[in-house]
Amino acid sequence: MLQAINLSKKFKTKEVVREISMELSAGESVGLLGPNGAGKSTTISMLSSLVQPTSGDVLWNEKSIAKNPESLRKTLGVVPQEIALYPELSARENLAFFGRVYGLKGELLETSITDVLKKIGLLDRQKDIVKTFSGGMKRRLNIGAALLHRPSILIMDEPTVGIDPQSRAYILETVKQLVEEGMTLLYTSHYMEEVEMLCDKIYIMDQGKIIAYGTKEELKGLVSENQTIELKANILKANFEKSLSEQFPKATIHIEEEILTISMSKNEEPLATIFALAAANNVVITSAIVKVPSLEDVFLHLTGKALRD
Amino acid sequence: MLFSLISKQMKMLVRNKQPLIILLVMPLVLITILSSALGSIMDGGNEAAIQANLLIVDNSSWAQEESAIKQFLEQEGIKGPPLDAMLTQFKSSEPLELLNSTILASDEMKKYIAVDYKKTVDLKTARQDEKIDGILNIPVDFRLNYIKTAYFKSTNFPDLSLYLNQDNEIRASIIESVLTDWQRGYTQSAILSKAGLSPQEIMSNVRTVEKIEQVLEVNERMIPASIYYTVGMLVMFALYIPAFLAGFALQEVQWKVYDRILLAGVSPVLYSLSIFFTGTFVAFIQQTVMLLFGMFVLGIEWISLEGMVIIIVSYSVFVGALSALMTTLQFRTKAEGIANLFNGLFITVFSFLGGSFFNIRDISETLGKIGDFTPNGATMSAILSIQKGQDLSVIWPFMLAIYVLVIVCVLLSIVFFPRRGVAE
Repeated sequence: MLQAINLSKKFKTKEVVREISMELSAGESVGLLGPNGAGKSTTISMLSSLVQPTSGDVLWNEKSIAKNPESLRKTLGVVPQEIALYPELSARENLAFFGRVYGLKGELLETSITDVLKKIGLLDRQKDIVKTFSGGMKRRLNIGAALLHRPSILIMDEPTVGIDPQSRAYILETVKQLVEEGMTLLYTSHYMEEVEMLCDKIYIMDQGKIIAYGTKEELKGLVSENQTIELKANILKANFEKSLSEQFPKATIHIEEEILTISMSKNEEPLATIFALAAANNVVITSAIVKVPSLEDVFLHLTGKALRD
Repeated sequence: MLFSLISKQMKMLVRNKQPLIILLVMPLVLITILSSALGSIMDGGNEAAIQANLLIVDNSSWAQEESAIKQFLEQEGIKGPPLDAMLTQFKSSEPLELLNSTILASDEMKKYIAVDYKKTVDLKTARQDEKIDGILNIPVDFRLNYIKTAYFKSTNFPDLSLYLNQDNEIRASIIESVLTDWQRGYTQSAILSKAGLSPQEIMSNVRTVEKIEQVLEVNERMIPASIYYTVGMLVMFALYIPAFLAGFALQEVQWKVYDRILLAGVSPVLYSLSIFFTGTFVAFIQQTVMLLFGMFVLGIEWISLEGMVIIIVSYSVFVGALSALMTTLQFRTKAEGIANLFNGLFITVFSFLGGSFFNIRDISETLGKIGDFTPNGATMSAILSIQKGQDLSVIWPFMLAIYVLVIVCVLLSIVFFPRRGVAE
């Protein structure tokens, strides 16, 4: 089990991570969700022993890694946010180098490289120089380099940043397969749908702090007291909005780009009233959507801002 | 593991055009241009560089001895006009006359030996004069005794005293070579004259000049522009290697590849060691290529292979150590400023002091001495010394400077290299 206990990190005077505690058990897939600058990458660096915490500790199988980081390092596969590859070397040469520094050699090295190339779908491009690859291919190879030594824990820091939807789907599918094969995963992203798709347990981070954690259902439960109704109409009149406010005084109502959004308690059943008020105000409703809470809503609920702000 | 790191760094170097151009193409182009452009000036100027100072102390003279010679000839039964003719002949062909008027007076010989004549001198004082490389002391009645031995039955061959200043072996050997040749010449002429051959035919100054050139060939050959600039560029361009390797290392940090390497269990010390070995290896290859270029393209004949290997390997080790130190400093500062400063300022100053562009001693002996403490200057001086034909022992003071710098660089690298990641 990998544990972070009250981890904090200060760079000069700026505290970028504040007393974070989290756990990663064998076979678990854990998400670390937060906007850019939340402190996710620093947290990962501390968890993987590359950055010394200002305070707090990281335990690997209940032993501190502060004095013996090597005990943890070889069990980790870390996929950094950056493309951590040599652009002048071919895909195979990159994998061969990283395999060798992990101590692989001979037949085992060759087999591992071929397996990884198959897994990331680059077997037919193995001899090509990395700098000629598309962004998506580089990202896939970036993941492959962390899998060569068959780690038991895979830590991925925003592995789909800046790539096309097709490559993104390929990467997510690959990671999903790894999780299904039993790989322990720590996945950071500011794309909530990725975390939602891949992770059983999620930590939500903002401004260096963990502000919530739990399963997807538990987190959504934080905002499940509310429901959101999105209305589209031929014309949105001020009178209609005023009538809605008077009828539902506890609801939050706002209009943006011809969409009227009403957020209110899920205990109310407002649709019939809304349509009646629309008719009374000569407003023709063209669509009405009742939205289920998402992790985006959870983040909005907890911080008052959107995840990608 | 170490081999993988070195092999990867070599691939990065080879697959980047910029280092290849700067480390290999540029120096070869510069060597070619400088050798041919400055060759005529430099090679001509060097001809007078080795000139020995000879003091001839003549305790006798024809004027002093003429009456004694005349008396001796009369005793031998030669009188009247034959005696006068013989005296004239002896005067023009006696060894000292040949030495002074023919051998040492020739333009060829003047390049190598500057002569000063004195009648009497305190030999003890003269021998302490550092400017004098050799003293030829001619005893009283030398001419008389020579004539007696060369042309008559006397076997009492006149003795000469030659004092050589061993502070400069090369100049001393030039004097010794000329005078030995001269002495052998007049000894042989004395014998052959009895068989009817004239001394002039035997004691040719041309042969003596050839002999000097043989001495120079064996002891201190001239350094032509091709050798000078091959060595100058070789030591200068090797200094660009550390900046390239440190630059690549910093890129590895920025790309997070270095983190991956650390996570794989590679210790920072091993990583630093790989930079050291790569720097050493690349410097050795670079210098070897330049020496081979000089040999096969410029026609240089490198002498003292053993000495060259010692110097090149030592300098390569220094370049490796400097690469490790520069990587350490860049990791500490997390910026390319150190490498840029080194490339822009230090290499220029070091090359100037070390004499890569011209011999700094032509401007100032003090600057030349300072230059010998720069790694490139020490290496250049060591190579040029053995290429002049000097003994291998002359390189050790220069090599000592290199080894001290190696130790300093390695110690600083060990002390300051970041033990954990570089991100902090």
